[in-house]
Amino acid sequence: MTTAGPSPDRPATGAGRAAPPRPTAAAWARENLFNNRHNSVLTVLLGAGLVVLVIYGARFLFVTGQWEPVRTNLTLLMMGTFPREEQWRIVVQVYLLCASVGLLWGGLTASSRDRARDAGVPFSRARLRDGVRRWWPVFVLLAVLLGMTRTWLPLAFVASALALGVAARRVMEALPEAGRRAAWFGAGVCALAGWQVLSGTGGIAWWWGSALVAAAVVRLTRNVRTDARWQPLARLTLVAGAVAVVWAVYAQLDFGGVGWDDWSGFQLNLVAAAASIVLAFPVGLLAAVGRRSQLPAVRWLSVGYIEVIRGVPLITLLFMGDLFLGFFLPTEDPLSKVTRAIAVMTLFTGAYLAEIVRGGLQAVPRGQVEAAQAIGLSAPRVLSLIVLPQALRAVIPALVGQFINLFKDSTLLSIIALTEILRIRESIHGQREFLIVGIAETLVFVAFAFWALAFTMSRESQRLERRLGVGER
Amino acid sequence: MAGVCLAGWWLYGNLVDNLTRTRIPTDFNFLTQPTGFAIPENFGFDPDLPIWRMVLIGVQNTFLAGLVGVLLASIVGLVVGIARLSSNWLVAKLAQVFVEGFRNTPPLVVIVFFSFAVFSFGPLPVFPEALDLKLPGSDSNWLVLSKSRIGIPSLSAERHEGLFWLLVVCGVVAAAGVWVWRSRRHVRTGEPHHRVLWSLGLLVVVALVAFVALGGPYDWSWPARSENGRRLISGFGTSAAYLSLTLALALYTASHIAEVVRASILAVPKGQSEAAGALALSPFQRYRHVILPQGLRIAVPPTINQYLNLVKNTSLGTVVGYADVTNLTRTSIGNANPAPQSIAVLMGVYLVFSLVISLLLNIYNRTVQLQER
Amino acid sequence: MTKRGTILIAVVAAIALLAAACGDDGDDTTAPQPPPPATEAPAEPAAPEPPPATEAAAPETTEAAEEAVELSQAGGRLAEVQARGSVRCGVRDALPGFNFLTPDGDHEGFDSDFCRVIAAAVLGDAGAVDFVDLATADRFTALQSGEIDVLVRNTTFTASRDGKEAANFVYTTLYDGQGVVVPAATGITDLEGLADANICVAQGTTTELNLTDVMRSRNIPFNPVTFGESSEARVGYTAGQCEAFTSDKSSLAVFKYEIENGGGDEQFILPETISKEPLGPAVLDGDTEWAQVVQWAVMATIQAWEFGLDSGNITSATGDNPALARFLGEEGFDPGIGLPSDFAVQVVSQVGNYEEIYERHLEPLGLPLHGSVNDLWTHGGLMYVPPYR
Repeated sequence: MTTAGPSPDRPATGAGRAAPPRPTAAAWARENLFNNRHNSVLTVLLGAGLVVLVIYGARFLFVTGQWEPVRTNLTLLMMGTFPREEQWRIVVQVYLLCASVGLLWGGLTASSRDRARDAGVPFSRARLRDGVRRWWPVFVLLAVLLGMTRTWLPLAFVASALALGVAARRVMEALPEAGRRAAWFGAGVCALAGWQVLSGTGGIAWWWGSALVAAAVVRLTRNVRTDARWQPLARLTLVAGAVAVVWAVYAQLDFGGVGWDDWSGFQLNLVAAAASIVLAFPVGLLAAVGRRSQLPAVRWLSVGYIEVIRGVPLITLLFMGDLFLGFFLPTEDPLSKVTRAIAVMTLFTGAYLAEIVRGGLQAVPRGQVEAAQAIGLSAPRVLSLIVLPQALRAVIPALVGQFINLFKDSTLLSIIALTEILRIRESIHGQREFLIVGIAETLVFVAFAFWALAFTMSRESQRLERRLGVGER
Repeated sequence: MAGVCLAGWWLYGNLVDNLTRTRIPTDFNFLTQPTGFAIPENFGFDPDLPIWRMVLIGVQNTFLAGLVGVLLASIVGLVVGIARLSSNWLVAKLAQVFVEGFRNTPPLVVIVFFSFAVFSFGPLPVFPEALDLKLPGSDSNWLVLSKSRIGIPSLSAERHEGLFWLLVVCGVVAAAGVWVWRSRRHVRTGEPHHRVLWSLGLLVVVALVAFVALGGPYDWSWPARSENGRRLISGFGTSAAYLSLTLALALYTASHIAEVVRASILAVPKGQSEAAGALALSPFQRYRHVILPQGLRIAVPPTINQYLNLVKNTSLGTVVGYADVTNLTRTSIGNANPAPQSIAVLMGVYLVFSLVISLLLNIYNRTVQLQER
Repeated sequence: MTKRGTILIAVVAAIALLAAACGDDGDDTTAPQPPPPATEAPAEPAAPEPPPATEAAAPETTEAAEEAVELSQAGGRLAEVQARGSVRCGVRDALPGFNFLTPDGDHEGFDSDFCRVIAAAVLGDAGAVDFVDLATADRFTALQSGEIDVLVRNTTFTASRDGKEAANFVYTTLYDGQGVVVPAATGITDLEGLADANICVAQGTTTELNLTDVMRSRNIPFNPVTFGESSEARVGYTAGQCEAFTSDKSSLAVFKYEIENGGGDEQFILPETISKEPLGPAVLDGDTEWAQVVQWAVMATIQAWEFGLDSGNITSATGDNPALARFLGEEGFDPGIGLPSDFAVQVVSQVGNYEEIYERHLEPLGLPLHGSVNDLWTHGGLMYVPPYR
């Protein structure tokens, strides 16, 4: 496990943590394990229990465990029935995603470096070693996966993808500020292109593309000075035009691809959680703002939506989506199971996000709103310029928490027979040779895959919380 | 608004179209039809009973899992939360491993894991060869252990139990009166009120006296197996499905509650406890009058939320075959009962429960907030 | 001012876009369909236009007209499948022998082969199947909501499924019966021996209802231990949660075979057959044309078996007698059911005849075909199909 981390009430001070000299082992043990009689007894009892547990665990992992079902079906668990001849799409997407993440990471590092320079404080760059220390569960998961495949190709793939990410980060850091701005867009384009290669013109790639184009247009027209009254309208028209062009282009394009209907395995868990949280964000924002609306109809609609969704378990909503959402839509062109499930998860998450955002809105001091009104801002502007930016900053950690929950809850899709990883695991035991072999082992593998990702994310969100200073108000 | 209405109208039109096309009934008459299937661990349930009775049994099972889960989760969560702040490194570390382990694993996986690893493929014997743990110096068992069912002692009503509960209710009323009296007296004279001690004491005395005076309205029923060894004829039997669901959810929720407990204790500024020390309060008084009231105010709303989550999560029992209301509804849908109406009933059940709890929570929050100002 | 404008517009645009995305993503995921793949079916003679037009013209009363409109709306399934270029087939991925996932993500088994039979008949390509994994409790809803074209999921043909569930069972591909398996060591030989026992069963199935019925009618108390899927009930039984496990006898035979071969305890299947379980593909009510297409596609495998045609010899076979010639689609015989004239050749050459399918998947699991009730009628079995003329 980790080394003794900083205790939570005393946040670590990053690099400068090497203050007191290390005590000897015996002194440390006396101080922390045997400092009084009561603690000594506890230590001995728990230590004995721990030793037994570790021995049993290790025996299971390395000796008695039958890992053959996992090993044989590793691809099945990870990507299910994804057409094997289209696998190259995943490979390309992972590369593009790594490049994108590398650029983003590098950009963040570079801008905080610049800020530190401007403020005249020393800046220590996050080192790769720190990354490994912080992300060790993910690396263990990767090691387990690679160890089980026992071929060199996946190893080369993972190594090169990681190398690409690191290289992209380096490049971004080395860029001058002007170049960096272009590279920010580059990161977006990489992510978009990755999504595009994988899902083709299906999925919601066009939405992504339009958002990116809209952002670019807004950015480019920023310095165009016209009559201030017409400017917003003109730019809105420009954005709408650009988006229309994107949609028109997408309507014409067709370069294959595998839409999310054909995704399964762990891939489906990841995409269902990610797609739902992204789509749920506007829903949650609208509901949260609607809840504070002056119009009773809007307010009651929002409250009704939020309370009903939060009042029932996700599984009943998924049943609803699975069993009778279809009845509300025309039968000619039914939505696929995956789409319906993601729609339900979006609605579900939207209600929780609405409450999170509401919390953020309440955290904005009234004085801010009053001051904004005093200088003559209109209501939408008060909301969009003063309230939301502050509210959203405060809720980022809660958002991450919600995403983790959603990720864990994506296992519920197995109950409505979507072939996500838990369902695939069940199918593995429909194979003749594994009918009753390795039932606990496959489950342990699935649990570990979830744990590694969720644990890393939750730790990162705690870090983020500390950095944003949300908890220190 | 118009858009929402139009959308609603369109959806409704589609619904009616589709239901008439597939000839699925649109009313709730199915609730009075016979259920048709037997309910697990419910030997008394006659499959001819109507579906609404099945729903009631499901609700009862949901609460059985929910209540016991909440109790266990509170205890474990409190212990682990305090353990995380222990000065003993090993204790704190183990508590942290527990919290991080359970908190970051999907509850569904935990439930399935308990069902398989602990019960199905665990070390316990099958029920016909169950372990009967005898009471010392007696023939009756206090525990029957097997991988599919576990028997524990229960209370069986013997005589006058109605009267007994009537007396207990009287005791509660009297205790409330004493509470008010002690509070008023405290306000008037400034003497310590000790109202918890007084009220609880009175209640316990009334209950004890009533119990003895009525000649023991309840008796222990020790778990025992039938002659063929396949059925529990006395005591209280719990299935492996119930145990894995309850234990898994309790531990999962406990990991969240532990974090709430820890955060609440840490949230009370150190100065508070130091100031209390300066006033020469004993460590217990310091906890009772300074730290706990402040910590509790922070801890209660998130804890209640966790309880709510736990009760809602009992719906996951459907994967291990626990007969909660979700599982039974799903089975009945699978047996040709209309899905839309069945799910409407199901959601109604959860909704009523959740709304009542959040209403209570809102009231609590309001009172706490008022005290704050 | 400009900065504020930027942010405002960005927020508004983002919300608008996202809202649009939410509202429309369904259309979008289904809209850009791949172009209808050129089916490999050689020279499909201009598909006979389905007759709804004539049907719609005949009735005069408004009620009948409405019905006809409904029919023509629902009757588009065949055209829909052809336009889509694939058959959506509802299956279960964890039924050894019937359908399971191979490590490469392929579907293998008796049920999945019948999905391929339908695809081969309709589209000329046995590979043009989209398999949809379905839960036991949700399978008919998938059919009703139009999400799948055909349900081939080890499903029993019953009256209330035909009626209330709006399913239309087109043919029985496997005559089965429900049985109960117990560990041989217990020495239980009949249902009476299961008094008070825990019995593992899948929920929402005829199996569960039959079990309840038979035990009640004989006054045998029992405790059902229900699981969401038959596969889970099987694991529960193996692990000792129950004294017995009930399912279709074919599944039980497969189970017994695999357990005993894997070195597990010896199993005993009670001789009693609790119920009749005719299993076969089902389509949604109200679309006769599609039902016929599926029905004749499935029956072609049995007709081919009767003719002695299999995947090896059908392409070289010639119509010695008129019946065989019609079946092979020589002389362009078209009975007007909406299938290409050479559909039987496509089915048998790409997937095989009934005997081949059965022997490929079920025979290795200890379920002999010959001499069983599923044998051809000429050998004393129940497999009998109407003449193709």
